[in-house]
Amino acid sequence: MKTGQKKVWWIHAVLILFSLLTLLPFAFMVNNVFRSNAEFYHAFFSFPGAFKQVATITGRALVGDDTPVLMADEEGDLVPVSKGDALGRSLDQATRGPRLAWKVIRPYMLNTLIVTLLTVTGVLLLGSATAYILSRYRFTGHRALFLFIISTMMFPGVLTLVPSFLLVKWLGLLNTYWAMVLPYIAGGQVFAIFVFRSYFEGLPEDLFESARIDGAGHVQIYWQIVLPLSLPVLSVVAVMNILGTWNNFLWPFITNTEGSHHVISSGLFVLATTAHASNFSTLYAAYAISSIPLLVLFIYATRPFIRGVTSGAFKA
Amino acid sequence: MFKYLPLILLLLLGVWLLQPPVDERQGAEGATSRAEQARFVIKFAPGWAYLPDTHPYGIGKPLQGLKQVIRAFEERFPDTRIEVLTVPGVREYLVTQLSGGQAPDILNVNVENVWMDVQKGWYVPLDPFLEKPNRFVVEQGDPARPGYEQWWDMFRYQAISRGKAAPDGYNYCLTFDMVETGIYYNRTLFDELGLVVPQDWDEFIGVMEKIRAHQPADGSSVIPLLANIGAFSDWTTDLFFDQLYYDLLPGIDLFKDPTREPYLEGYLDWDELAFLRQKGFFGGSDLRYRQLWEHMRQLKRYTNDNLMMDDLIREFVTQRGAMIWTTSGLSYRLQGDHELDFDWGVFYLPPFTRKTSAYASGLPMCVIGGAATQLEISNSAIGDTDPSLPMAQRMARSERLQRVIDFLQFICLPEQNERIVNEYSGFLPNIVGVDALPILQPFEQILARRYTTTKWIFSFDLRFSEIQQRMLELYLTDGIDLDGFLHWQEQNLDAAVANLLQRKRPDMARLEQQWQRLAPVRATMQDLPVEPDGAL
Amino acid sequence: MSVRLQSSWSCYGIVLPSLLLLTGFVYVPVLWAFVSSLYAFEIGAASRFVGLANFREYLSVDPTVLPSMANMLVLTLLAVIMRLTFPLVVARLIYALPQERWRYIYRIIFLVPIVVPGVAVQLIWAGMIYSDFGMLNELLRGLGLSHWAHGWLSDPDTALAAVALVGFPFVGGFEVLIYYAGFSAIPDSVNEAAALDACTGLQKFFRIDIPMVLSQLKLILILTLIGGIQGFENVFILTRGGPGFETTVPGLWMYFNAFSFQRMGYACAIGVLLFVIIFGLTLLNMKYFKSSEELQGVR
Repeated sequence: MKTGQKKVWWIHAVLILFSLLTLLPFAFMVNNVFRSNAEFYHAFFSFPGAFKQVATITGRALVGDDTPVLMADEEGDLVPVSKGDALGRSLDQATRGPRLAWKVIRPYMLNTLIVTLLTVTGVLLLGSATAYILSRYRFTGHRALFLFIISTMMFPGVLTLVPSFLLVKWLGLLNTYWAMVLPYIAGGQVFAIFVFRSYFEGLPEDLFESARIDGAGHVQIYWQIVLPLSLPVLSVVAVMNILGTWNNFLWPFITNTEGSHHVISSGLFVLATTAHASNFSTLYAAYAISSIPLLVLFIYATRPFIRGVTSGAFKA
Repeated sequence: MFKYLPLILLLLLGVWLLQPPVDERQGAEGATSRAEQARFVIKFAPGWAYLPDTHPYGIGKPLQGLKQVIRAFEERFPDTRIEVLTVPGVREYLVTQLSGGQAPDILNVNVENVWMDVQKGWYVPLDPFLEKPNRFVVEQGDPARPGYEQWWDMFRYQAISRGKAAPDGYNYCLTFDMVETGIYYNRTLFDELGLVVPQDWDEFIGVMEKIRAHQPADGSSVIPLLANIGAFSDWTTDLFFDQLYYDLLPGIDLFKDPTREPYLEGYLDWDELAFLRQKGFFGGSDLRYRQLWEHMRQLKRYTNDNLMMDDLIREFVTQRGAMIWTTSGLSYRLQGDHELDFDWGVFYLPPFTRKTSAYASGLPMCVIGGAATQLEISNSAIGDTDPSLPMAQRMARSERLQRVIDFLQFICLPEQNERIVNEYSGFLPNIVGVDALPILQPFEQILARRYTTTKWIFSFDLRFSEIQQRMLELYLTDGIDLDGFLHWQEQNLDAAVANLLQRKRPDMARLEQQWQRLAPVRATMQDLPVEPDGAL
Repeated sequence: MSVRLQSSWSCYGIVLPSLLLLTGFVYVPVLWAFVSSLYAFEIGAASRFVGLANFREYLSVDPTVLPSMANMLVLTLLAVIMRLTFPLVVARLIYALPQERWRYIYRIIFLVPIVVPGVAVQLIWAGMIYSDFGMLNELLRGLGLSHWAHGWLSDPDTALAAVALVGFPFVGGFEVLIYYAGFSAIPDSVNEAAALDACTGLQKFFRIDIPMVLSQLKLILILTLIGGIQGFENVFILTRGGPGFETTVPGLWMYFNAFSFQRMGYACAIGVLLFVIIFGLTLLNMKYFKSSEELQGVR
């Protein structure tokens, strides 16, 4: 794509403007990780005081300035502190949020990873298997079946909260991973089936013909032909499913009555609804830490994701 | 392969970080073994203000009070463990957990959320226990101490505590502490503008006018009063109602509940409000009612534009607002804020005078007080009994409930209550013999006032409060005029009254008898609304 | 695409686990909800069969029907317009950049906001931008337009617009990536042909680029529609549906009825109506919007 130099600058300008606006909430979140509650109330957006302190102290140390550093003690009076102490306390204050946050959400992170892994595996397996059958075989009721599956996307979620809870309770699955994994797979596979089906419909029939002539059954065809070919689409479905699972909070909360299997989203929800009690820095640190795995995912998954989207899977 | 190196390193780092730290592992093992030995594991959700090891608002040392009290209780009863939990206050959570019998045994939920659900057996009424002695006080052996004869006697603010009974007349909530509202004002700014704390309502309006007129050159105008829609819909409604209707009470207070009347003189409860509505009160033709909302509209002129903001503290702390009407918890935060650069004080709303309104009683503004922590016992506490039995039988048979009651009685002891409530200096203790912290002195004085005539949002159901709040917001922001608002309010009230009559089936005939008997008293009163069928 | 008639049993056998999960965890609860809509039902208490009374009441007497449907329409329409235009423009701009490194960086930048929880975004907009001394009002005061500053979320005239504009410029998210993928899939042959025909710039954008990404547009359209019709969390956090019913949407009213007003059956009736609307729209969408492949005659 040839574009004039001036045009490129214009494009950058517009994109930078949009980026700034878009990243504003994210910057706000990260900034608040290092501010104390009092700072939060004095200004919505200000440079963390702890950082300013660290900068001043190191600056003074470098210049050889010996004026004592004044820091507020428990009662709020300013008392002189040694530079080392002051540095330590400033750093302690700045990182207090993240440390507390990690302590609180570490078990949640583990649970989230387990649940996400189980869910994604389930969705990919079941989704692709069902989509394979639906896309390449015409059998009695296959159109009705597809409609049956797709219609589930259209039900308002709020109403099914109570009956689903009672069902899970009846099955004795409360406070287990399965209480979350099974409904997630049930719901997540729908989108997967939707995407996989249109992708599989585009595959040439000869592949399957030759395999069938060789006497391969469904399982073999699936394992040896379909799966390897659909890697790009797998990554699309996996990424979107991970995102959906990560953010769903009310359901894990309701099904974890003992609080033993909380995931990050429900853990954050608790933190947020008791936000008066926790430091804002803890809350925002928790948000920030919980986004790190997702960010890592994006950095590595963008390219396969794009390849998947363009592979013809979205011929809706 | 190298492009995956950072990913691999990250994964390894992640795995390492995910290991539980040593002390946590040991702690968890200890806790599970102790829990396995315990016969009763009681789950307690006290609300955010007392959670052990947290710092409310990030101020001060981590809280330990509740932990110590629990430990003392567990030493006394080795077969019991109390677990402290956090639960969200959202309705979906409450409804799903309670319907499934999975809620914590002791919950902190506002009463207006409880009353709709009591008919389903989701909460345990406390009256049978409150009317009996507190076993721990009896053990201490001094008949003069409150609680020796009745647990009820241990509570300091009787009117407020008794006022929290449900429409069926029972008490489902233990009012463990108190919170009260007040107007915090920026004393430095007041001094600068030559203002003093107003003594009556017109002075109050005058003060706000002066603040609004003050436009410094640097463009930093100040909002006179910071208040959100909750303050209008809940607090202001009751306060103004009390100011305007108090003089009518002899003619309209039809029913005096024998158990509660000694504490709540002249209180209008749900049945009476419903009856009065049927007689034409609280509608467009009720002049006092009209005035109530007109005065509220006038007050709104001096407040912030965006009423939905929950968090107005920032405006007060950065001096963009001169006064803020909020609860006593703010004292704690202001005290801990070292960057505050102004002096502050607290006063309560000044009363209406005859100049403000012809109907004003002239009495000081009443207290609308609320309990901060309202503890209810959920159906989980009677989970060791057969759900098909009626509530009374289940209560009698349940051993778990007995232990839960023991715990609640324990935390009502003055020495225990003090440890918990006075550690967090935002709420006031509701136990006789326990004084509030010095910084909360102004609120203790406010709480000594007379209790309100009625509490509107306690009176009916959540639908009523929800619709009133949003129609009020529309009215206050000039979306509809007073007549439009009153039309909605009438419809809303009528629907709520119909709901009440259908669910509770109160004895309206008896109220009618009393109404007729009081007719001569009412004949002396002016401007009463006309009854729908024409008679007065 | 050719298909073969297979013995139904083996097919159903493979499909069985999916079906079981779907029926159990999705259809059973949904059926429960649908059946409940025919009862005057509150959770934990007895229920009474009322037939279609809930639907009748909602459609005729409920004060929120017209305002909430109108609001839902407006919000959904605005969301659709926003999500179909801004990300498209941004994706096209990124695509036009010559260096792969910059394209990569911008793609990541526009994905980052997904990791911020939606709640945090709402709170930031309400607290930082829309509040009385928030960014928007301060900007207006700075420009000398202080008489325009007011309570955006509380004022009945501006509340709905304020809610709709939260998240401006709407480019954080998957849409950019999906459209970008669509653009990058345009075969070079098409680009070259366009260049030969001297079809460049805006003309090319409208006549060639957009039709080529039509299937992606269709996908985003369906997802946004479904989300817009049911969604209410943003309204709940920002304005709780007020003032009056200016920002109430059916989903919000459904939530209140189910959990606060003790009218589960009534809420389910609203849910059924919403489902019918979504179903109808999806059918329309699938029938009348042809994808790019169909246009090219590949199928």
